Amino acid sequence: MGTRTRIVCGVVAIGLGLTACSAGAGGGAQQGGGGGAQGKDTATVALRTPNWILPISAPGFTQGENEIFSTALYRKLYSYQLDGTSTDNINPERSLAEPPVVSDEGRTLSITLKDNTWSDGKPITTKDVRFWWDLVTANKDKWASYRPGGFPDNISAFEVKDDKTFSLTTKKAYNTAWFTGNQLNRIVPLPQHAWDKGGDAEKTFDELTAASKDPKSYATNPLWKTTSGPWKLDSYVPSGEVVLAKQDAYSGPDKPKLNKIVLRPFTGDDAEFNVLRAGQIDYGYIPPANLSQKSYLESKDYRVSPWYGWSITYLQLNFNNPKSGVLFKQPYLRQALQMLIDQPTISKVIWSDMASPTCGPVPAKPGTPGGQGCAYPFDPEKARQLLESHGWKVTPDGQSTCADPALCGTGIAKDTPLSFTVTSQSGFAATTKMFAEIKSAMAKLGVQLTIKEVPDSVAVTPACKPQESKCDWDMSFFGSQGSWYYPAFASGERLFQTDAPVNLGSYSNPEADELIDKAQFSTDAGALQEYNDFLAKDLPVLWMPNPVYQISAYKSGLEGVEPQDPMNLMYFQDWSWKS
Amino acid sequence: MTTEHEDAPVRGMWRQGLEVFRENRLALVGVGLFVLLAAFSFLGPLFYQTDQVHTDLTKVYLAPGVDGHPLGTDGVGYDQLGRMMLGGQTSIVVGLAAGLLATVVGTVWGAVAGFAGSWVDAIMMRVVDAMMSIPALFLFMLMAAIVTPTVPMLIVIIGAFAWLGPARLVRGEALTLRTREYVVAMRGMGGTGGRAVRRHIIPNAIGTVIVNATFQVADAILYVAYLSFLGLGVPPPAANWGGMLSDGLADTFSGNWWLLYPPGIAIILIVLAFNFIGDGLRDVFEVRLRRR
Repeated sequence: MGTRTRIVCGVVAIGLGLTACSAGAGGGAQQGGGGGAQGKDTATVALRTPNWILPISAPGFTQGENEIFSTALYRKLYSYQLDGTSTDNINPERSLAEPPVVSDEGRTLSITLKDNTWSDGKPITTKDVRFWWDLVTANKDKWASYRPGGFPDNISAFEVKDDKTFSLTTKKAYNTAWFTGNQLNRIVPLPQHAWDKGGDAEKTFDELTAASKDPKSYATNPLWKTTSGPWKLDSYVPSGEVVLAKQDAYSGPDKPKLNKIVLRPFTGDDAEFNVLRAGQIDYGYIPPANLSQKSYLESKDYRVSPWYGWSITYLQLNFNNPKSGVLFKQPYLRQALQMLIDQPTISKVIWSDMASPTCGPVPAKPGTPGGQGCAYPFDPEKARQLLESHGWKVTPDGQSTCADPALCGTGIAKDTPLSFTVTSQSGFAATTKMFAEIKSAMAKLGVQLTIKEVPDSVAVTPACKPQESKCDWDMSFFGSQGSWYYPAFASGERLFQTDAPVNLGSYSNPEADELIDKAQFSTDAGALQEYNDFLAKDLPVLWMPNPVYQISAYKSGLEGVEPQDPMNLMYFQDWSWKS
Repeated sequence: MTTEHEDAPVRGMWRQGLEVFRENRLALVGVGLFVLLAAFSFLGPLFYQTDQVHTDLTKVYLAPGVDGHPLGTDGVGYDQLGRMMLGGQTSIVVGLAAGLLATVVGTVWGAVAGFAGSWVDAIMMRVVDAMMSIPALFLFMLMAAIVTPTVPMLIVIIGAFAWLGPARLVRGEALTLRTREYVVAMRGMGGTGGRAVRRHIIPNAIGTVIVNATFQVADAILYVAYLSFLGLGVPPPAANWGGMLSDGLADTFSGNWWLLYPPGIAIILIVLAFNFIGDGLRDVFEVRLRRR
């Protein structure tokens, strides 16, 4: 090869490289334009293909798309709204029953069904609730929502009074709001007349489960033809497109306005986003990495809307780590670390306003600005004073160490460094930037933070005992899409109670336990607030900016999409095209 | 002791090699590019000092030239020109170290296998074949996901899997060299296998090794870029060009071109530089060219 040829090849290589970069940067722009792929009686939605149809969830099939799919076909006993306008957060319009009536000092809840029918015209009665009850009690180990000691173990009696009324008696008195939001939310009346073949709950359950594990028959199996929801299944392609058609026999008040909903899956975020840019779906989402294209989509007749989840986000601290645990057990140290996290600025700049500060264990009401009145707002100077007043020698941009063990706290030796490793999630640009900012802020007070990014941070930071080798992690972050999504009643018995199943950092405080119990069991309406106020200050974790569940983008002519349900359900029946 | 008589042909060989190398203009361009990029990365911070430790969220995405930032700032307020220098250090250090590590390991492995022959060769080369059957990028990703990707760890991860190519290459050379008269003569005089490998096999395969090393360095730099692009690079505030390119791609739809093109161009230039140098060195070790 001659020298000139080589030079030409070199120049061409550079040119090709730049062209490739350019194509990656803006190539997609040429695909824009065009309206929705469907007509005005249909909406196309980007959603993974649901793979479970039975309204009793099975382990491994609890993905969000299955819940949306199931709710479209089968109405739950109670539907919820979290805007604070209704008793116990019950949505009176969408629910199949009236709010529960409590008696027997809070131990018995009587529930009366409204007048509704199945798609075949038969009324929905307590037989259908009883059928659901029998199935889950006989097969609770196969039910994804089952936890030993929880529902239905905590029920001493299920009684049917008549066709419309039944009651549940609990083993001990619960806070009605908690029980309604976190236990009754699992009840889904099932069509007993169509599904109950022989009366044997275990056999029937196995048959229903087997049918649900056979997606290719979803659209043809007669089992799934009798529904209570506003939609019926029109067609189903395994791992492909699913079409829901308006259920003409739907008896609820929220009748569908569109004729069809097409659920279209994509192989990944990029594939979805390219189709969204091309205008070929009516409702989709912007992957966080592509948020910068918000204005482009808006120029293409899309409305971009953050979908706030009923969630909180936090940085888990490992109180059982033999080295750093003694540090985290000092409240002043947790407070100082919290004061080095600039949640409002991180939410605004790094998350582009698609996150809001978390101040405590109970999420802010959807639609309200988060971060109002956080107990420990960003204040590096105060953090420095706090550390110094507790015997720490603060060395900005160096390594702060304990200078006076008597003041530093129990178990903290002289010269102990403030140095921690955060195990965070890889693959989220905003998370990486967020920890770069936090690391920078902490370094200014000599707190050294090492960022370790792994694909699954939960898997490598389990709850542990101090003597276990797996207990060497300091801090864990798994909140790039929110750390924890609550059911309607945001109590902390699973998160912050001593030895709770998701208390990964082994936080333990008797006062917190008492308040959590109170929120769960007492009739005191202020118990949840009391619990929130205490933990907001006690810092069982470090509160972090809470990202939205999803950045939705939908055609501006599509009405009824908002407000998007904070509990991550989609009510397609509310959707319509602007005429 | 070395005599003047013995020195003469050595000097001649180096001079000859240099002449051949200089005749290859692209090789000179490659050397120039490498020197330029290395100077930019390692000497640049002496003349253009920026804070690459502390973020500044009040100065994110500043365009080039604004507020004293010639190449603008990134999504957390780091000066992009300073970041390019910092990123270049990582890319070059990891590229060179991993490339050299792979070359050394591969050379020794291949030389021993080729010289020993028989069942030793069979076993050693089956190990190579088995490892080669797994896609390298997949292995890198797996390793980077298991361990924390620091600079030394990246060097080890990339080096640990990139030695397979050199091993096969050197093994082929060793198979030829071990039958040469001077090797047979040395063995006949009681020389050990180790001495044969050290004094004859590796030195005589050095041309192949050096040329291959340049390509290994280029490949290692690309591997660093791939891993960073997949989010498995060194964590912040450390930087490398691959990671910067990845971040830049996410930001570029907002028109922040300065976050995309500089690291992209830098990667292309450094890889081209090592390929050009490799071409030049191949000419140097090509006997026919040296004697023309």
